[in-house]
Amino acid sequence: MKLDSLLSTVILVSFLVTIIMAIGSYAAYKLREGRRPRADEVVAGGDSAFFERIVASGPTDAVGRSDQPRG
Amino acid sequence: MSKPRVWWTRAAVAATVLLATWVAWKLIDITGFDVLAALFQLAVALLSVFLVVLVVRYVLLLWLGYLHHIEGHGGVDSSIAPHVTVIVPVYNEEAVIVPALRALLELRYPWFDILVIDDGSRDGTFAKASALAGRYGNTTLRVVSKRNGGKASALNTGIALAGSPFVLCMDGDSRLSPDTLRFSMRHFANPRVAAVAGNVKVVNRNNLWTRLQALEYIEGLNMPRRAQGFVRAVNIVPGPIGVFRRDVLLRVGGYDTDTYAEDADLTLKILTDGWQIVYEDRAIAWTEAPEALLDIIKQRYRWTRGILQALGKRRDWLTTRQGGIAVWISLLSLFFEAIVWPVVNVLGNVLFATAALAGVVPAGVFYWWALLTLLDVAAALHSVVMEEESLALVPYAVIYRFFFIATIDVAKLLATVEQMFRVPMTWGKLERAGRL
Repeated sequence: MKLDSLLSTVILVSFLVTIIMAIGSYAAYKLREGRRPRADEVVAGGDSAFFERIVASGPTDAVGRSDQPRG
Repeated sequence: MSKPRVWWTRAAVAATVLLATWVAWKLIDITGFDVLAALFQLAVALLSVFLVVLVVRYVLLLWLGYLHHIEGHGGVDSSIAPHVTVIVPVYNEEAVIVPALRALLELRYPWFDILVIDDGSRDGTFAKASALAGRYGNTTLRVVSKRNGGKASALNTGIALAGSPFVLCMDGDSRLSPDTLRFSMRHFANPRVAAVAGNVKVVNRNNLWTRLQALEYIEGLNMPRRAQGFVRAVNIVPGPIGVFRRDVLLRVGGYDTDTYAEDADLTLKILTDGWQIVYEDRAIAWTEAPEALLDIIKQRYRWTRGILQALGKRRDWLTTRQGGIAVWISLLSLFFEAIVWPVVNVLGNVLFATAALAGVVPAGVFYWWALLTLLDVAAALHSVVMEEESLALVPYAVIYRFFFIATIDVAKLLATVEQMFRVPMTWGKLERAGRL
C-alpha cells in the first residue's frame, strides 16, 4: 500500500470517528441539560434571590445599599 | 394575488417539475447514462468550489487583518480621556469576582468608575463584591443588586445608572488588561465611531480543550474581527469587552432581552443605525474558557442560536441591502461565519469522506487534509505573531481543524437545525473554575 493511501485511510477513519463522537457529545449535552432543573422554574417556586438578599427599608435601598463610598 | 390564482400557480409549478423529472428519467434510460458516476463528479465539483471558497476566505481575512494591523497601531493621545463607567454584570460569580474587581481597580486611565450589577446571584457574589465597594482615588466602585433578569437586563440597569458619556460593558468573569481604556478611547476621536470591540483571550490554558480554544479565539474569532475592523464594521462587540458611547446605547434602546446573543444583537442594532464599530487588539479581556467538551458545546450552542435570533430580527437588512455596503457585508459575514461556514465545513468533509469511501478519490483524503491543515497552520502562525502570542499554540493548529472544529461545527449545525424548528432553550450558565 502506498504511503498516501495508508495516511488517507487513517485520516478517513479518524474523521468518521470524530463526526460520530461529535454527534454523541451533542446528544450527551442535550441529555445533561434535559436533566437539569430550569432556572425560571426554581424562581417560580418562590426561591427568589432578590428577596433573600435585600432587606429594603426604603425604595432606593437596593441601589443605595453599597453605593456609599467607604473612604 | 388572489388565493385561487396562487393555488393554480403552485399546481402548475408542481406539474412542470414532475414532467421534467419524467423526461429526465426517460433520457437517462434511453442513453444509458451512469447516474452514480455523475453524482460523484458533482460531488468532486462541489468539493472544488468548497476548496476555492476556503482559500479565498483565508486570503481575504489575512490580507484585511494585516491592513488593519499596519493602520491601527497608533499611539495613545492622553488628551482624549473622557469619563468612563465600567459596567460589570454578575450572576453567581463568587469564584472570580474579587480578582476581577481588583484587576479593574488597576486600570491605567485617569477618570473611570466601576459599577457592579448583581443580577440576583444565589451565591456569595453580592457580599464579596460589596466588600470592595468604595472610593479609590478618582475611581468609585459601586455595587447594585437587582432581581434576576439575565445579562442583558443587568447591563441595561448599568447603562441607565452610569453617569458618564462612555461605558465599558464586560463579563463578571473577565479580567481586563491595564491599558484597555487608554487604547480604546482614542478611537472615539472619530465622531462616527459608536463602539470599540476588544480582544478576548483565554486565560486558563491548562488542558487540551482550553489550549485549542485559545488558538480558536486568536485565529477563528479575532482574525475575522480584525478584518472587519479595517472596514469599521465589526459585527460582534464581544460580551467580555466592549466600549460604547452611552448616548448611542440609549438611542438604540440598549440591550434587547429576546435573544441569547445580546452582544451580537446590540452590535447589529448599532451598525444598522449607521454607526461605525472598530476593533482594538490592545484592549484585552482575559476570560475563562470552558474546560470540558460538553461545556464548550453548551456555549457554542447558545452562541449559534443567539446569532441566528439576532440575524432573524434583521432579515430585511440582509435581503434588501439597506444602509451602506460595509454594514451589508458585515451582516452577511456574520451569517457566513456563524452559520454557513460550519454547515459547509461539516457537509464538505462528509462529502469528501463519502467520495473517498466510494473509491472516487481515495488517496486524495490525505492531500485534502494536508491542504486544510497547512492553511490552518499558516493562519495560526500569522495570527499568533500579529497578536504577539505564544508560538507554542501554533502546533495545535494540526488537530484544530480536524478534530476540534469538526466537533464544534457539528454542534453548530445541530443548533442551527434546532433553531429552525424553534426548540425551546434556556440561558445555560457556564460553571467557572475560578482560575482568574
